[in-house]
Amino acid sequence: MAELEIRNLHVRTEEREILRGVDLSVRTGELHALLGPNGSGKSTLANTIMGHPSYEVTEGQILFDGQEINELSTHERAKLGLFLAFQYPVAVPGVSVANFLRMALNAQREEPIKVKEFGEQLGHAVELLDVDRAFTSRHLNDGFSGGEKKRAEILQMAMLRPQIAVLDETDSGLDIDALRTVAEGVAKLHAEQGLGALIITHYQRILDHVRPQFVHILIDGRIVMRGGPELVERLEREGYDPIREEVAASA
Amino acid sequence: MPEATDRPAAKAGSAPPATLNHALAGAGTERAALGDLRARARSAYEHLELPTWRRSGFWTTSLDQLDIDALEVRSHPAQSSAPAFLNDQRSAGVLVQRDGSVVYTQLDPALAERGVLLCSLEQAAREHSELFERYYMRRLTLDRHKLEAASAAFWSGGAFLYVPPGLQVPEPFQIVYEISTGATAQYAHTLAIGDRGSDLRLREYGLAEPIDGDALHAGQFELYLEDGARCRLAQLVDWGPGAVHDVSTSIVEVARDGWCHWLPALLGGSLVHHHDELVIAGPGGDMAFRGLFFTDAHEHLDVFAVDLHETGPSGGDVHWRGAASGESRASFEGLIQINPGAQQSHTYLQFHSMLLSAQARLDAIPSVLVSADDVSASHGGTVGELDEDLIFYMQTRGLTRPQAVRVIVDGFFEPLIVQLDDPHLERLIRDRIGAKLANAAAEIERYALAR
Repeated sequence: MAELEIRNLHVRTEEREILRGVDLSVRTGELHALLGPNGSGKSTLANTIMGHPSYEVTEGQILFDGQEINELSTHERAKLGLFLAFQYPVAVPGVSVANFLRMALNAQREEPIKVKEFGEQLGHAVELLDVDRAFTSRHLNDGFSGGEKKRAEILQMAMLRPQIAVLDETDSGLDIDALRTVAEGVAKLHAEQGLGALIITHYQRILDHVRPQFVHILIDGRIVMRGGPELVERLEREGYDPIREEVAASA
Repeated sequence: MPEATDRPAAKAGSAPPATLNHALAGAGTERAALGDLRARARSAYEHLELPTWRRSGFWTTSLDQLDIDALEVRSHPAQSSAPAFLNDQRSAGVLVQRDGSVVYTQLDPALAERGVLLCSLEQAAREHSELFERYYMRRLTLDRHKLEAASAAFWSGGAFLYVPPGLQVPEPFQIVYEISTGATAQYAHTLAIGDRGSDLRLREYGLAEPIDGDALHAGQFELYLEDGARCRLAQLVDWGPGAVHDVSTSIVEVARDGWCHWLPALLGGSLVHHHDELVIAGPGGDMAFRGLFFTDAHEHLDVFAVDLHETGPSGGDVHWRGAASGESRASFEGLIQINPGAQQSHTYLQFHSMLLSAQARLDAIPSVLVSADDVSASHGGTVGELDEDLIFYMQTRGLTRPQAVRVIVDGFFEPLIVQLDDPHLERLIRDRIGAKLANAAAEIERYALAR
């Protein structure tokens, strides 16, 4: 059982302050959704959790299992069991999906993984996620369609078996089939590996396929409302404006 | 300081472009006995000054710091075994020259029985004079610059390979030039012939111990592929961290329906100037001219690669990749030249670069000279730096920054390396690239922080 905890997190870039006091906790086995309009700070939160060098934490803490990780480098956070599925995964030219997965697995281990063991794990993952095995010999994200890139993200997640994954608008730009693949993948890893996930999204439609227990609404760098799945339905009906007004009135 | 003339003439229409063949026409094409050629080269050597090549208008390759008179050609006794790095693979034959002497020669007896010749070039001049005189210096010049003249005048040892008509040899022939000590000059000369319809693999290595003091490798390489002959040629140059100055010319001639896949991998040397020229000399000739280099520290690399089509129809595909780190300087100049009458020649030149340090310089100068109208010739390329988004992506998967950089640089070279179709050589090149990256790790880190 692992826990990612964020306390009073303030983050800025060179230009401006983006997060202005975020509190959030995600445990293994929990599914959280973070919704918010464009520019509310969703991607900043995702990148800051992984230690992206462009984002400066000016106040607050990120904790993993009670230990502050603000100063940890990105690869060390990955080794703790954190994972980020990217909104726009970049191409890794010249490296096949399978070879990249092997490198990433080896980065987390003392001894390199044995060929047979790796083959078995990969076989299991492609079967679980219903991915064509031939896909794993293509160069990672190089010339991939939007859907293939997201599938590759989920495949990496399945192989690396993180405790907590952050999915940064993994659903954006996907047709309905690809969206279903991604959502079902997350649900399966949640069920099989006890994955805890923070699903960041601009739309609500991914949440038709994967049911979060906890829903958070991020506006202007703060989480302004929390609830359960019913909050998603309300957003779908009303949009963000009534929530904004409600928050403004109570402030 | 006189400038060496390996570039096309600056004024259009004044003089023909100075590729090797045109230069040769000026030098006279009659075949003279070896002694005459040496004497002519010696005379040129005595009259010429050390060369300077101007690159990009910004910097030059100059050898005026090299005290050539302080360098000696050293002799060594024969040895009984091949270099260790060749032990874990099969070879058709091996020839090793250390400094000024051929110290080891081995040829598969079954191939010798079928007429394959592999011996020192000195021996070939004595014992295979007909072949020697037919091919020796057929395409190479001896008086474009002082070091070329020195090589033609003073070469010792040397390598000679002949593969008879129709013979297919799947295992590689391996020719190794080693520099073992400082204050040395190595004048190297390889002459290789693939006769009609033969098929061979040839590798040439330029390697050095970490020497003290200056050394010079002035090399000439010539490969003739007769009608229908095919060759995979690779040259691996890694002179190590010592002050080795390598000024070399290589030429490959492909006759009718011949084919060559040629990859020089230039992976180390304090000053390296290579003129590499591939000539399609007969209709139906085709080639894939690949090359890669990686400079670090204070290395200085200057490549002039020529894709020359004398006749058509012919094909060409030139693809080079280079990376530079540290305070190194590298220049790649690529020339496609299609001569009058070489109709239906189709060729493409691409060069991709990756800069790994703010202090490094890497220039690319492509040019195309076409004197026929029914042809296609074009060039393209990319200029790259380390992609920080890509590094972050890999770090989120648990790779450290150096690991991520290694993946990027390996991936950059991989499209060329996989085409070698030779696991042993591929591993040698990948390992060498890895070692250079490890050397450059601190600079690469600083570069990232500075951006």
